[in-house]
Amino acid sequence: MNRIIILLFLLTNFINSDEISDQVITRQGHVSFFSYTSVENIEAKNNQVLSIIDFSKNEIAISMLMNAFVFKKSLMHEHFNESYIESDLYPKATFQGTIIDFDPLVEGTQTKMVKGTLTVRDIAKEVEIKTNIENINGKYIITGDFEVVVKDFDIKIPPILAPNIAKIISIKFRFEYQSYEK
Amino acid sequence: MNKKNKITFLLFTLFLIGSLCVYFGYYNKPKINIINISTEINTSSEKLTVSFIKNEENANSIYKGKIIEVEGIVKEVTFLNNRNTVILYGENKHSGVLCDMQSNQIMKVKNLKRGQKVMIKGICKGFLKDAILLNCMLINQ
Repeated sequence: MNRIIILLFLLTNFINSDEISDQVITRQGHVSFFSYTSVENIEAKNNQVLSIIDFSKNEIAISMLMNAFVFKKSLMHEHFNESYIESDLYPKATFQGTIIDFDPLVEGTQTKMVKGTLTVRDIAKEVEIKTNIENINGKYIITGDFEVVVKDFDIKIPPILAPNIAKIISIKFRFEYQSYEK
Repeated sequence: MNKKNKITFLLFTLFLIGSLCVYFGYYNKPKINIINISTEINTSSEKLTVSFIKNEENANSIYKGKIIEVEGIVKEVTFLNNRNTVILYGENKHSGVLCDMQSNQIMKVKNLKRGQKVMIKGICKGFLKDAILLNCMLINQ
């Protein structure tokens, strides 16, 4: 809970500040997840993910609406929101972390670790994610992928559907940032 | 083919057709086409963003999951992530309305200009820094 308050404070603080030269933002970040099983493959995409990086501390904050994930099949969307994620009760997933040993002034691509807290369904997990950070003339693009264990976030899958949903879900992300508008 | 085999074959065919109908009709329900659904709430981009900024919980109870028509001024049109997105000005410079357009809107979206007044219909999903609308289409454009 405290982590969520800190994250909200961080996001609000960034949003309200007018004196920000070393912060970048994307409100159209891309996050997708994949569940591969022998029965079926499930994929969903969210293209409205908010993320802000504060280069003075190399801190990154991410927030997304769980009901904004788009599935190929509408029944999958229903199951995801109503039964698994319970997006009415837990509408947002968040991440708050630090990019380790990152120098924003270096041009080109750097591979860095991001350490932080991923919160889904109000359950916080410490994660470490390998990311590629591209800096092309001050335009930053962060990409990467990682895996989450469904059990870690207390997501209950009915036994009849268990063969359809992978126990480990692959997550991919791509955030293309722009300067924070003053 | 004897009579018993014919009946078995007929029943099997009926079962197969029935199963396919259930599969395609239910499991593969078509995605929402906003044009076929009536608007539940009419508002403006300023009112919508103010409502979320003042009290997100209350605004969610009013707008989330609803089909809304929003009138607003185009701040930006983007094609990031292969999506067609129209961003409308909100009440302040930091928040607006982010409209993810249906793919059939591409030609209309390409013709939009910054500062143009538009009416957009979509499903409200909630609020991050902006109010987020999916499955959007331009009205009277």
